[in-house]
Amino acid sequence: MMHIPFRVVFEQRGETPRRLSLLVPLASVFAALFFGALFLLATGHSPIDTYSNMFQDGFASFNGITDTLALSTVLICTGISAAFAFQMNLYNIGGEGQLYLGLIGGAWAGIALGDHLPTLMMVPLVLLCGALAGAAWIFVPAFVRSRLGTSEIVSTLLLTYIGASLIKHVIYTPGSFFRNPNTSFPQGRLVADSASLDSFGSSRLYPTFFVALIIAGALYWVVKRTEFGYRINVISDSPRAAHYAGINARRTTMWVMLISGALSGLAGAMLIVGPYGKIEPSIITLGYGYAGIVVAALARNNLGVIIVSGILFSGLRVGGNNLQVTTDTPIHIGVMLQGAILLFALGGEAFRRYHIHVVRVHDATVKKVAA
Amino acid sequence: MSNTSHEVAQGPHHTSGAASTALSAHSIDKKFPGVLANDSVDFDVRAGEVHTLLGENGAGKSTLAAVLCGLYQPDAGYLMRNGKRINLSSPRAGLQHGIAMVHQHFRLVERFTVSENVILGSRDLPFKLNRREINEKVAAVAESYGLPIDPDATVGDLSVGQRQRVEIVKALYQGAEILLLDEPTAVLVPSEVEKLFENVHAMTAAGKSIVFISHKLGEVVEISDRVTVLRNGRVTGHVSGRGTTDTKELARLMVGRDIELNAQRATHATGHEVLQIRNLSLSIDDVAVLTEISFNVHAGEMVGIAGVAGNGQRELADTIAGLISPTSGSVSISGAMTTDCGPIQAREVGLAYVPEDRLGMGLVPSMSILDNLLLTRDRQIVVDRVSVRPEAARLIEQFEIKANGPDHLARKLSGGNAQKVLLARELSGGRSATKLLVVCSPTRGLDVGAIETVRRLINDARSAGQAILLISEDLDEVLSLSDRVLVLYRGAVVHETSGETAQLSQVGAAMAGLS
Ligand SMILES: Nc1ncnc2c1ncn2[C@@H]1O[C@H](COP(=O)(O)OP(=O)(O)O)[C@@H](O)[C@H]1O
Ligand SMILES: [Mg+2]
Repeated sequence: MMHIPFRVVFEQRGETPRRLSLLVPLASVFAALFFGALFLLATGHSPIDTYSNMFQDGFASFNGITDTLALSTVLICTGISAAFAFQMNLYNIGGEGQLYLGLIGGAWAGIALGDHLPTLMMVPLVLLCGALAGAAWIFVPAFVRSRLGTSEIVSTLLLTYIGASLIKHVIYTPGSFFRNPNTSFPQGRLVADSASLDSFGSSRLYPTFFVALIIAGALYWVVKRTEFGYRINVISDSPRAAHYAGINARRTTMWVMLISGALSGLAGAMLIVGPYGKIEPSIITLGYGYAGIVVAALARNNLGVIIVSGILFSGLRVGGNNLQVTTDTPIHIGVMLQGAILLFALGGEAFRRYHIHVVRVHDATVKKVAA
Repeated sequence: MSNTSHEVAQGPHHTSGAASTALSAHSIDKKFPGVLANDSVDFDVRAGEVHTLLGENGAGKSTLAAVLCGLYQPDAGYLMRNGKRINLSSPRAGLQHGIAMVHQHFRLVERFTVSENVILGSRDLPFKLNRREINEKVAAVAESYGLPIDPDATVGDLSVGQRQRVEIVKALYQGAEILLLDEPTAVLVPSEVEKLFENVHAMTAAGKSIVFISHKLGEVVEISDRVTVLRNGRVTGHVSGRGTTDTKELARLMVGRDIELNAQRATHATGHEVLQIRNLSLSIDDVAVLTEISFNVHAGEMVGIAGVAGNGQRELADTIAGLISPTSGSVSISGAMTTDCGPIQAREVGLAYVPEDRLGMGLVPSMSILDNLLLTRDRQIVVDRVSVRPEAARLIEQFEIKANGPDHLARKLSGGNAQKVLLARELSGGRSATKLLVVCSPTRGLDVGAIETVRRLINDARSAGQAILLISEDLDEVLSLSDRVLVLYRGAVVHETSGETAQLSQVGAAMAGLS
């Protein structure tokens, strides 16, 4: 009988040592960079040059920083969308679809309300309509989840595909309200000037970045300090304690999901008032909604950390995307590095949660068992 | 159990003084992260005797037993079997030396029959089982120790007491000479305990050694030839069971200080009716869980509900607390109808409820003591923790809760301290002054010191004029504390007696459905 003399034992940690909480994410990033370096070497690129370029483009130049913050505006919103739902152990996988609806809702307000209102009222209205549209898109999943316990994972994801079709429909259908009537090439119709914000100076960063920061802070406060947050904490930890205390879990579930949907919708509307000014069909290829799940996962769904993880992830993405422009490194390497960092970061969880050690299986045991 | 001292004094046990040591442990150390569960423990058991390991929860009893049967390897120390050093690398190795353990939590396959469970894990089975032969063998083993059991019964259909019997038969079938019984009485009703003790005597008479583990003093004194007391992983005393009836001394060795075990019944004139239950019935999925229950609890009175787990106690408590709507009948608290009103309204008229399930229902494990105190109170839209903090600190002090302060997480509290937090919250009143306290299994799983405190707190609440409904599977507790005792069997009240004159045998019979 073949016998392996070693065994890997995963022993659950009662408490994660504090130093590990910091060490593991850092080690994960380094492990990912090391892994990426091997890959770069194998494909004939210099890891040092590639990494310094990435860093330069993502964090260390004016354009790099502002592009990073611009991207993070959206990713922070979709990130808190995912993380907020996760506070109640709800998986809103469909932030992507809610973001599409946010585009539609925002564009509708920006077009329909015309030039009658000043920017100071128009922009909030556009954002509000986008958020409402996102919330509407999650309404059915939220309803069936809170009433019947139907998995929100499947329902929100399915609605994302329908949302993508809806975007294509409103852009490619001739005569559509959202389609630019002046071009034969299918394009989104521009919103009113009063619904568009200016970016800061020569950058591509919009004031919506601060809206994202404020919302992240506000939700953090809501969860930590308010009755609503208290209920979320009780229900997510022990539904039976909630029942015992007379806390209505259905209603809270409903609200949490609606807010989560609204946040992804808001991200879509921010793209309307910010860089695009119209429904740009290529947005559905960018996966900002899905990236929000990644941002939330990197922050371990900790609302206080979403801003940091959102900016880090954006920098990585901006730096990675620029590689192709500034060097001859294929874009896929950037994408691969992002994936590697994520994998290592999530894999590192195992070290935080378990005490992992290799034990020798005693010869005596071996003989007895084999006997 | 009622004639404890007499029996022990007479010593009806079968030890012959000259019996040799069957198994001994020498200077056993066993570490777990953060705790030394066994700290140079010496222990031995002779052929034909019952040697008890007594200690509070967490004292290290199960750990020592696991070392004795080969489940754990000690970090230091060694075992000797019949005077020869042995090294047990697994429970199977233990079994080869005739050592078997009946675990606190049974390890049976519910879908298998009794015989299948008994032979499960046997090494030298033929390829094709001869069921009849095996059944006969299993039945023979069972019979010879007075453990009647149907070899063809499916384990899933058996009562807890019967399952335990299966575990014991299994150990005997596998040739055990030394049986380690880890808290075997924790899951049994009194009549089953008596039966178990008879089996134990039959086994010791046949020369088997029994290591009996318990934290219940009364039964320890009754069954043991010798007692070894463990506290915090260390042996704090050896007592020869025969002739020693001093439970106080045992309790002191166990806890490390003198304690008052028999919380005396408070004799208070009882006041008006606080809780009124009328014809309460409840069906869940068309199964009757409660049938036509009616009773009252007066101010300053403690009514105890006795019964074996699963006879509707939990549902009765939840219905009174407004968590379940009854199918018919009514509940009123302080004159206000609270049927169907939900927990918040019930609390507004004076309900306090300590559920059986402390962590996960009564308390939210991941939240702090402070936040847990807020659970059943009126909270503002922005939760005001600042003004509650001093009160939290005061309650921690008043209820002698061992914690680092109001921010201590509930899940990091020991069972006794968690229970004290729960009682502190419920007794200090939230939405209104507490008038009715419903407590379920308030001392289950607690150590002796905490049991004493918790019982005192509940008694004090009664003395302060609160009406108390005590629902507990611990019959001794119900009988020693309650002014009135009701027995719940299959969802109906089948027996009622005053606490003072209650007969253990009658109440026990009613619990078993024999009245
Ligand atoms: N597998 C384990 N891992 C970590 N700690 C353990 C383990 N088993 C027991 N302990 C700890 O060892 C101590 C003794 O536990 P135990 O032997 O189960 O006590 P008892 O059976 O007397 O209640 C306790 O503090 C307990 O938390
Ligand atoms: Mg134990």
